[in-house]
Amino acid sequence: MFHFKKIEMKILIVEDEITLLQAMEEFFLSEKYVVEKAADYETACEKALIYDYDCILLDINLPDGNGLQLLEKLKKENKDANVIIISARNSLDDKIQGLNSGADDYLTKPFHLAELYARIKAVFRRKQQEGQQYTMFGNTKIDFFNRQAIVNEQVLSLNRKEFDILSFFVNNSNKLITKEVLTEYVWGDNIDMADNFDFVYSQVKNLRKKLKDSNSNIIIENVYGIGYKLTVN
Amino acid sequence: MKLINYLILRITLIFTVIMLLWSGIYLLLQMREINSGNDEGLINLKQEFVHKANNTKGFIENMENEQPLNIRVREMTFAEAEQIVETFNTTKVYFPTEHEEEEVRMLASAFFCTQNDKYYEIRFFTSTVETDDLVKNILYLTLGLWIVLIITLIVVSKFIISRTNKPFYKLLSELKRFRLDNSKNIVLPETEIAEYAQLNNAVSELISKNINIFTEQKEFIENCSHELQTPLAVAIAKLELLIEKYRNDQTHIEELSELIGILNRMKRLNSSLLFLSKIKNNQFADMQNVNLNEEMQKTLDELAEFIEYRQIDIAFDSRQTIEKEMNADLAHVLFTNLLKNAIIHNEHGGKMGIVFSQNRITIANTGTAEIKDIFTRYHKAKIGINSTGLGLSIVKSIAELYKINIQYRFENNSHIFILIL
Repeated sequence: MFHFKKIEMKILIVEDEITLLQAMEEFFLSEKYVVEKAADYETACEKALIYDYDCILLDINLPDGNGLQLLEKLKKENKDANVIIISARNSLDDKIQGLNSGADDYLTKPFHLAELYARIKAVFRRKQQEGQQYTMFGNTKIDFFNRQAIVNEQVLSLNRKEFDILSFFVNNSNKLITKEVLTEYVWGDNIDMADNFDFVYSQVKNLRKKLKDSNSNIIIENVYGIGYKLTVN
Repeated sequence: MKLINYLILRITLIFTVIMLLWSGIYLLLQMREINSGNDEGLINLKQEFVHKANNTKGFIENMENEQPLNIRVREMTFAEAEQIVETFNTTKVYFPTEHEEEEVRMLASAFFCTQNDKYYEIRFFTSTVETDDLVKNILYLTLGLWIVLIITLIVVSKFIISRTNKPFYKLLSELKRFRLDNSKNIVLPETEIAEYAQLNNAVSELISKNINIFTEQKEFIENCSHELQTPLAVAIAKLELLIEKYRNDQTHIEELSELIGILNRMKRLNSSLLFLSKIKNNQFADMQNVNLNEEMQKTLDELAEFIEYRQIDIAFDSRQTIEKEMNADLAHVLFTNLLKNAIIHNEHGGKMGIVFSQNRITIANTGTAEIKDIFTRYHKAKIGINSTGLGLSIVKSIAELYKINIQYRFENNSHIFILIL
């Protein structure tokens, strides 16, 4: 497992849509995170300025304020929290403004929890390991910075998509990843590629073969024909 | 034609007509004045002549013999005399002393000399201003005046009209630069002229109204997005949690996964539709000079694994460099959708050709049959059961936005898309 998961991670979820807030809370609780919630701007300000969080998931459109203002406040107070903006507004302006104001990432609603989870982990990696962006998974070293997987000092020859898939699985290990979610992750938002499960299937097949050939003990299981799950043998 | 030139041309034409008329009238009046002066002199001369002829013996015979330069005397019968009506006219007479004909004013008359009881025809001449000379002079003067007036007019126009119209031209250039999506009203030029002030107000009002409508529309789209995306996010997240919960129950997971698939499709449809309306509302205002060759290469690189998977043979002729002032993201989406289309609707192991030529990008791929109404929304080929059918609609909207002519043809078992820039 990831070594940083042993430390308790504390996150603040700022989201005015209560049902979504609860769903995210449930997900992160199951990942053994400490979760704090704020459903409005006032509460979010209070909590974010008083306590320290490893990560803040921030909705921009709040009933009594704008998430971007909170971001600016945090910056002014020199609060060093990782912030991931979650917004239904897919406008480029907001994205640029958000990232300029010090947010670490920007995720557009609707998103898959697995995607959010992968983003949070990527942000942690960037911040905590300062350049050393690799992690051991079983006997396999995943180097996120150089985009390589290494087993017994041997670098696996993965193409870009294969590495994308591997890193997504690694970030969501032991979880069922449906083909839908995986395909979308591989192709991104704007591209209407979801009708090409075949392609993703073939990439997973290749990845599996390459892992096996290099004696990695990572296994990508097929789950009922609807998705995959990554485990360590 | 520029306003100032138009004005000058019109005024010049009107001036020409007025000056011609004026010259004619002036010429007529002048001639009449000169003639009436001359005629008075001739009448005085006649009266003096008649008086002398009647009172001085032998005067008339003398005159008849001597024939002075300006008087002609001829004896005639009563019958002839009766025919003569006193007339003035302008005529030409040959003067032997000057060996030329000269224009003269002549009074022709007759009288009865009481000294010798005879009838005489008498003609008195006085040299007058040559009409030709006068006409010439007047024409020269008029022409001179006309030239002076035109020069004055041009100078005045350039200085006064230009200065007066300054607010107008400033407004014009502001309007040319105005972009609705900039949501900033234009800077109105200051003016003391009532009409221009009114124009400013009208334009300003129109613009702010349009900005409001545009902003409202933009907000509507954004709200629409927000309102739909959030419930979708909730539903997807909840279903994913359920999948975790029922991780060991295959039937449940299959159904839940199917539901997520449906919601995913809804999400893609929604975001594609929003994307389309954003293009149509011209909300991608951020323009830059995009090197389309580089953009195409980038897109090909991104799709490399997919191309490899479908074993498609790519021929990219990038010799002609094409650049275009457009939004970089839209350029990317344009090529991605076109290439994706050329990959999906290709045969396994088929071919794709991309050619950049003078102002023209051609993308061709092997295929089986022509597709009708290819750019219509929700148009779906059999292959793309799961696709939104909006990919090529987006292509068309982007092309329309940048006035790129896009054509589709089916030739020699190839789907051919041509972008004419």
